[in-house]
Amino acid sequence: MSVQSKIVVFCGKGGVGKTTLSLALALKHARAGRKVVVVTSHPIPELAVSVSLEGLAASDPAAAANLFVVHFDPRDLLAELVRKNFPVEWVAKAVLDSHIYKSLIEVAPGLKEFYFLARLQQLAERKAKAHAAAPDFDLLFWDAPSMGHFLSTLHSARSFETFLSGPLAVAGADLAHFFSNTSRITVFPVATLEEMAVAETVEMCRALEKDYNLASAAVIMNMVSPLSKATDKQMAELRASASSSAVLRFALERAELERKRAAELLIGVSTRPVAVERVKGWRSDLDLLEEVGKSLQPLSEML
Amino acid sequence: MKIVVYLGTGGVGKTSVAAATALSRARRQADKSLVLTIDPALRLRTALNLRERTLEQVVPLVPPGKGELWAALLDVRATLDDAVNMYAKKGQADRILNHPIYAQIADSLVGMQELMAVERIDQLSRRGFEYIVVDTAPSRHAIEFLDKPMAFADLVGSGWVKLVGRTYQFVARTGMMSLGRKSMDLYARVESLLGANLVQQVLDFYSIFVSIAEGYARRAEKTVALLKDPAITEFRVVTTPQKALRDARFFFSALKERGFPLGTVYVNRVWPHDASGAGGAPGLESDVLAWYAGVRQSHLHAIEELRKEYSGQPVSILPLAELDRDVDGLDALERIASQLG
Repeated sequence: MSVQSKIVVFCGKGGVGKTTLSLALALKHARAGRKVVVVTSHPIPELAVSVSLEGLAASDPAAAANLFVVHFDPRDLLAELVRKNFPVEWVAKAVLDSHIYKSLIEVAPGLKEFYFLARLQQLAERKAKAHAAAPDFDLLFWDAPSMGHFLSTLHSARSFETFLSGPLAVAGADLAHFFSNTSRITVFPVATLEEMAVAETVEMCRALEKDYNLASAAVIMNMVSPLSKATDKQMAELRASASSSAVLRFALERAELERKRAAELLIGVSTRPVAVERVKGWRSDLDLLEEVGKSLQPLSEML
Repeated sequence: MKIVVYLGTGGVGKTSVAAATALSRARRQADKSLVLTIDPALRLRTALNLRERTLEQVVPLVPPGKGELWAALLDVRATLDDAVNMYAKKGQADRILNHPIYAQIADSLVGMQELMAVERIDQLSRRGFEYIVVDTAPSRHAIEFLDKPMAFADLVGSGWVKLVGRTYQFVARTGMMSLGRKSMDLYARVESLLGANLVQQVLDFYSIFVSIAEGYARRAEKTVALLKDPAITEFRVVTTPQKALRDARFFFSALKERGFPLGTVYVNRVWPHDASGAGGAPGLESDVLAWYAGVRQSHLHAIEELRKEYSGQPVSILPLAELDRDVDGLDALERIASQLG
């Protein structure tokens, strides 16, 4: 077992499926006996209403014991910092309640993002626990916020060098170094094959590579149609029989758009694609995660 | 005046539905209808004639509508710049615009987008737009749009910020002594934590920004009153079948908490064709048809669940069909508009 956890990042535009993919891959590894944690950008109550792991503890207690989901509230993290620096409770409370402190943390550019990254690093280096009872994790999945906020979070480690003169400035340089190393961090950009998602993913991958030295390990094309695998010959045959079926015409029109977008994506990001087919129906969230997880084998092999 | 606010998470087609709503109004009513969008896809941006950074653009309609369709882009930085130029005291605008903190504030201050949307609605309502459709940020947090202006007003209105704002220049020369012993002690502690450089920069920024922030807070209060008036403002949610029930529950209760009614939930991107009984040639064709039928079935099921959940409540639940191509022009918007009900 390595002395630090690998960080796996799912990033991309809002609504492309980052949370579902993070949970699906985490679940797959938890079932295989590895200790995993998903750090999500959604507050936990909100996450519970997007995709849930409901029923896992009953159906697979071993996997449930291996799988943790945490959310860092940046405000809590900063409060923790204050408490550490001012161990006397009433002093810490006076600082936290003061307008001086509140106005400063609200407006200080990137402070909360900076603290989020620092916490992620501590968790990966096993200098901090997700919570008291948590084990050391083998894999840490970061279900990143949507693109703009994700990049500004990474940027916060650097921009802080220009502003900070206190104890945080030193941490900034270390943090910037930590988050620009693909031996510790595996980045999986996620896109659906639509105009905006493809354009944003291409832009994001370029920024990651150029500004943060983080090349993507693979790009995930999420929710594709089964026709994404079809050969040109098969497509032509389908087109011939489509005249009699509105359904088939619709599926073909969309599949052709998808193929065009996939080509744009692959020219733009030049990394290997992993396609995840749109699941056609599921009884529970666990079913859905299971089904999605089947398409993620190529990702598991990279970790 | 009418304001329609669209809420919804990422990837649901909210911007297209918002634009189609303004278009539908321009077709039917002889007034000026405007969609305020945040970040439209390139093709939609072209269709809406959105080139300039901040100005509203009229969108030529063929054939012409009864009214006019206008579109505007919510550019946070540009709106903030405008507000500074318009409202800052003489000689202060440049100091604010060139301040190192200002350069980052547009991106980093939580809810800046929401704050600027409110500022923009105020500007638009004074420029003769009778029907304003607002496309909010693609997140559940966009609902804070309704809270943020007030929180911001509280912050800039707080005694401490005013004190710093007004006395900073003096304090900078004479030291923090004039703040009083308790404040000074706290200040020293916060400074030791964050570093003197950052704290100085922020204080300096507050000292020059406070004058425009006060004016902003007054205007925001007026705009939020418009948003709180059900005779003027209607809230609608756009979602997709997969997220329908969860999104509706979330926005319904979040609006209710704040005392707003939810008017309509559009379930967008519902696959349009009935696929039951479609067999097809064995192999890929029948696989695709079965897959389509499965997805379509789950879409219908989601709408049914949603209708069950809100039966007897004054919420309209309306499906919108997924188009077989990108929303890339006015004709695609017309197709959406025709389904809006």
